[in-house]
Amino acid sequence: MTGASPRKWEPVTTNGTIAVTNLHGQIDGLAVRFSRADTGETPWAPLAVAQGAALIDLLNLRGHILGRVADYERAAELAERLVHIAPEDGTALLARARTRATLHRFAEAVADLGAAGRTGADEATLAAERAVVLQALGCYADAMALIGKVAERQSSFTTLGALAVLQAERGEVTEAERLFDEARRHYRGTSPFPLAQLDFRRGVMWHREGDLGAAGSCYEAARHRVPDYAPALGHLAEVELLRGDPQTAIGLLRPLTWISDDPEYAGHLATALHAGGRVHEAKQWRERAVAGYDELVLRHPEAYADHAADFWLTVGADAERGLQLALQNLAFRQTARAHALFQRAVLAQNRVAQAAP
Amino acid sequence: MADHFSGPRAIADPASDIADVYAFPSPERPGNLVLVLNTFPASAPTALFSDAITYRFRVRPVAPGSESAAAPFTVGEDEYSFDFTFDAPQQPDGPDTTVQMGTCQAPGGRQVAFQVGNEVPTEAEGLKIFAGSRLDPFFIDFVGVMVTEATGKLGFRSDASNVLEGLNVLSIVLEVDAAVLGPAAGSLVAVVGETVTSGERPVRLERMGRPEIKNVIMSPKKFDTVNSDLEIRDLFNEEDAFGVRPDYASTYRARLSANLAFYDGLDGKTAWPLDEQGSHPLTELLLADFLVVDLSKPFSEDGCFEIETALLAGRPHTTCGGRSLNDDIVDTLFTLLVGGVDGERISDGVDQPTQPATRSFPYLNASNPTPPDLGARLAAQMPPREEAA
Repeated sequence: MTGASPRKWEPVTTNGTIAVTNLHGQIDGLAVRFSRADTGETPWAPLAVAQGAALIDLLNLRGHILGRVADYERAAELAERLVHIAPEDGTALLARARTRATLHRFAEAVADLGAAGRTGADEATLAAERAVVLQALGCYADAMALIGKVAERQSSFTTLGALAVLQAERGEVTEAERLFDEARRHYRGTSPFPLAQLDFRRGVMWHREGDLGAAGSCYEAARHRVPDYAPALGHLAEVELLRGDPQTAIGLLRPLTWISDDPEYAGHLATALHAGGRVHEAKQWRERAVAGYDELVLRHPEAYADHAADFWLTVGADAERGLQLALQNLAFRQTARAHALFQRAVLAQNRVAQAAP
Repeated sequence: MADHFSGPRAIADPASDIADVYAFPSPERPGNLVLVLNTFPASAPTALFSDAITYRFRVRPVAPGSESAAAPFTVGEDEYSFDFTFDAPQQPDGPDTTVQMGTCQAPGGRQVAFQVGNEVPTEAEGLKIFAGSRLDPFFIDFVGVMVTEATGKLGFRSDASNVLEGLNVLSIVLEVDAAVLGPAAGSLVAVVGETVTSGERPVRLERMGRPEIKNVIMSPKKFDTVNSDLEIRDLFNEEDAFGVRPDYASTYRARLSANLAFYDGLDGKTAWPLDEQGSHPLTELLLADFLVVDLSKPFSEDGCFEIETALLAGRPHTTCGGRSLNDDIVDTLFTLLVGGVDGERISDGVDQPTQPATRSFPYLNASNPTPPDLGARLAAQMPPREEAA
């Protein structure tokens, strides 16, 4: 099956450079300082908590768009403090649940959602958050049931987009394509971020299906919306590398290593440089990725074990370490992808063992 | 806050979020109409206008309605629309210099180009234009408003602080020679500001006429027994200010009447008895949400709601009405809602903006290069939960 163009329907959205500039401005404008709050001097009322939660969501958004682990960590730290300050506030608990889900601490996220429910938080919102967690854990049927349940309260774009991504992850490509198109048709906003994310997820689906042409055009569409969209650029570079064009991949990845602190891009750049014959430079970027993953798997093993495992199984060239991390990842979640990664690690280990003198 | 953060959708693209609309006769050139549209509340001085949005002023002639008419004003069919659009930013001299250009399309299709942030106004055939980051002129004891809503008692304090102190907005300021509107406009005009998506299928994102209609009057849900779980503001934003869809009109009426009755009861007296259907006397007036300005009157700093209240009281208005930048509209609004047309003045304890607006174009002050963060201010100003609850 060949992927359809994501540009059948083109809503007009704010230029990506403007949107990123304004996102920085929004975050700066809401940059809640917690110093006084920590001393207990300032009692926090719901509105201030809501502003804190809004800031957390914006940080998570910027973390995703620009590939900034530091933003995820800052959001998680703010959420912890918010719950410390307002432990009975459903908004604070929901914000912490989201940050925990982002860092793949799913059990704790579910606990927060339960606590938020006991404070009277909106059921539809809770169900939507639970669906995200269930989907990440591979419980697709349960996730779908929840998305269907909250459909009446969410915008059509949000519901259709969530269903599209879910079907994409299940490998139901035809249905996912229909839903991706349908979601686009229902977009009524001007922010480019939701559409860029939708195009990116559509690209990931085709990437997994092995249709590099379709994946590439989806990633390009996301990049067209937001030129600095790190995951789209990183995946586009992977596509170019698979197409045998390391120079283009290098050109895409190098700016990412400036704006993002995610070692994934340093690792990919090392791969591309190696493929391009620039072995010495590749080694430097490999070392940078090693240092980055060493730190990240210590701080956030649930979120980065799979990425790190993939790194060690490829350009990291340490099959043993890759296997350890793939096993660790499998302990966190028994998804099809986690199993596939583990199998790949076992095969790599066997190859190394067979090749051993 | 006047219309800042008025609904969930505005948060997604803050450049679409209307903070305020002002309309007043020019203090410098009597008879000329000044229109101000502020967007992107609490923005950094580097904020940019969206290139996917049309920022629009709509002006229509208006006349007081007859006593038998349901609506207090009769709005004319002629419309004078001023559309502002913006380009994607350019960096002609490297990454440290961002230049954004804009275009104003006046009635008749005439286009005037201008540069965002240019302190020298762009002037062309009866139009004077400024667009860029400015100090937010609005002022309010927002905490007092929240406490009032939570406790059912007036929660203002004489030592209150302006929650928007030192914050910035993105402003569009347009001064229009009355000749551009033409004689058909007359001296009494209705004004609304809008943000609308660009492209083939424009969608209205936000619109604003009078201050605090959405955030103070329509936002609380708990008094509205008909639509108690409805976030009504995004829906209301989609409406044409000059013609609300009949599909949702009763929904808005229910919310307005319920909430207006709540505000009326804050002093323990009834200034606005409901009719037999439970409708508040101000519901129809506020549902037709536009500023009314009389260009035949001189500039006045405190004319907001004066034309409307004069109409309700059956007497001729004496000011230009509309809304000027230094007008203490929170005091005016609460006085009207709680005490009636000639009620005792209520003060929220915040009587002026960060810096008073000037009397020369573009009237708003330069932006604050280091604005404080809104979250910290809200956290610091919020009363204990027990007090607010």
